[in-house]
Amino acid sequence: METIVRLENMTKDYGLNRVVTRALRGVDLTLESGEFTAMAGPSGSGKSTLLNIIGGLDRPTSGRVEVEGRDLGLLSSTELSRMRRDRIGFIFQSYSLIPVLTVLENAEYVLMLKGVPAARRAEIVRALLKEVGLEGMESRFPRELSGGQQQRVAIARAIAPEPALVLADEPTANVDSKTADSLLELMRQLNEEKGVTFLFSTHDPEVMRRARRLLLLKDGRISHNGGVGHTLDAD
Amino acid sequence: MVCRLAWRSIWRNRRRTLITVVSIGFGLGLALFFISWGEGIYSQMIDQVCRMQAGHITLENPEYREAPAVDLIIDDLAGLRSEIEGWPEVDSTKLLVLGQGIAKSAAGNVAAAITGVEPSVESRTSPLARNIVEGTYLDERDRNLVVVGSELARRLNLKVGKKLVITTNDVSGMLVDELCRVKGIFKTGSDELDAYVIQATIGFARRVFRMPKSAATQMAVILKNADEQEEILARIGGILPGSPIVALPWQKVLPEVASYIKVDKGSNWVFQGILIFLILFTIFNTLLMSVLERQREFAVLLAIGTNPATLRFQIFMESVYLGLIGVFLGVALGAAASYTVNIWGIDLSTFLKEGVTVSGFALSTRIYTKLTPKILVALSAIVFGATLILSLIPMRRVSRVSIVDELR
Ligand SMILES: Nc1ncnc2c1ncn2[C@@H]1O[C@H](COP(=O)(O)OP(=O)(O)O)[C@@H](O)[C@H]1O
Ligand SMILES: [Mg+2]
Repeated sequence: METIVRLENMTKDYGLNRVVTRALRGVDLTLESGEFTAMAGPSGSGKSTLLNIIGGLDRPTSGRVEVEGRDLGLLSSTELSRMRRDRIGFIFQSYSLIPVLTVLENAEYVLMLKGVPAARRAEIVRALLKEVGLEGMESRFPRELSGGQQQRVAIARAIAPEPALVLADEPTANVDSKTADSLLELMRQLNEEKGVTFLFSTHDPEVMRRARRLLLLKDGRISHNGGVGHTLDAD
Repeated sequence: MVCRLAWRSIWRNRRRTLITVVSIGFGLGLALFFISWGEGIYSQMIDQVCRMQAGHITLENPEYREAPAVDLIIDDLAGLRSEIEGWPEVDSTKLLVLGQGIAKSAAGNVAAAITGVEPSVESRTSPLARNIVEGTYLDERDRNLVVVGSELARRLNLKVGKKLVITTNDVSGMLVDELCRVKGIFKTGSDELDAYVIQATIGFARRVFRMPKSAATQMAVILKNADEQEEILARIGGILPGSPIVALPWQKVLPEVASYIKVDKGSNWVFQGILIFLILFTIFNTLLMSVLERQREFAVLLAIGTNPATLRFQIFMESVYLGLIGVFLGVALGAAASYTVNIWGIDLSTFLKEGVTVSGFALSTRIYTKLTPKILVALSAIVFGATLILSLIPMRRVSRVSIVDELR
């Protein structure tokens, strides 16, 4: 197995003046390729901050962040942008699709950025949309879809460029539990069949149960790192 | 695909985009119409004064302009005249004798411009000949008959058929008196012409001033299209004989008209400038608003790896589309309006009983607009170019979006 993410004693403080929020207080973490990891923790515990830093959207205050062996601290913002495009997929909580683009266009957007020819793009994305269960909806617009369907488009968009890692920040927070369940099922399936590496945050115990590995975040520190069953019982 | 995204993005807020392009359209259309209106008035004005007076191009003795005097004549014009008249751009040519004198009647005396004209040409070309309010205009056979301006007639208490005496100096400086009779009274609406001008046949004028038989003080060239003046002027310059004769544009002969137009055009442009500023303000507002309300969307695009330059290009294309639609609409509206008025004209006589006088020059109450391609292109380019420049600010804004803050 290949190490995709390595965090060493990583901290993040917010605020420049007197009130400093210490969002992360020394995080060490390693993610291997093919993992399917959930990160749980109360609101404000630093989940989003951690995902943002791993995804190169934000920079840590101290410590080291490596993605695929590259020290993100050494990359320029242009290089970070390129890394996000080529190596990382993002799934946000909601409303992350471009409303004026169709399902197909949204899903192929990143491939377009990468310069993949239109015909090849359409081929890849059509197959993917079929896989995420949106066959026949290619030319719909996001507003014509349910929240769960929109998230499926977002998932397709994230995995279309075959990234090394998909980061999902509470991807099921805005849908009902049945939909959440099927979205998790889908991600799990993509993980097993295609080997896509997922790291997602959640505070839904049902969602945590589906993970293969669970991280618990508390006050900016990882308080549990390992199996799922034991933790939930202890909760 | 970025262009497609840009195109669809501008239609996201359909109402705002429509309002924006319609106001660009109306603003530009209005500006174009007003400019073409002004140009129409100027060109009508130029045409009328040139026809009434010394033509679009005036040939005269090189010293005449400095110190007008009837002994500064030009002569032997037959060959030159027939050549110029043969050019397709030339409407007609006419010979003039312009002198000064005093007109006397029982009621008093006034200074007057004694103008010898060729009645057949004048009645065909000059608005003055068509504005006879009493009596009739001159014809070739008239000997001591004159037409006078209405104001001059009032001052000297003249009526058709009444007598007046013209006193002047001939070419050798001798004082001469000539008795003549009023054949007609004209009213052009121009205070200067109506109070000052006496027209008689050129034969009469030559006799009074004791000039050679074929001489004149001016030869006027009237063009079909005033815009061709420069070209014709150059062509005439090329064929002028060695004799002392120069060809002048009307701007030199009628400097007060030229400078009036210049000043008036300037003030028009100020007005157009304000109009265009308002258009640009609308565009800017729309561009900026549409970027500000999509911050989160841009944050998402940046997060998933969109290059800020790509995003800026998207905004640029949105401005291009907005500008293009607006300018297209404006050109269509402006061109349609000025074309219509160019063909049919607008009759202002119901609004302006007195007639239209601009700087002492009477104009026809029917106004025809004139829209040149140059103005059309220039104004459209200004609006479109300014739109693109204005888009720089939203473009800068977009690459400064804070991803993390917007996505929170
Ligand atoms: N941009 C920011 N500026 C200031 N404080 C922030 C910012 N982002 C997050 N925080 C703070 O950092 C802490 C962790 O936030 P976050 O990572 O969003 O937690 P979670 O996603 O687990 O709810 C919270 O106390 C939050 O208020
Ligand atoms: Mg969060």
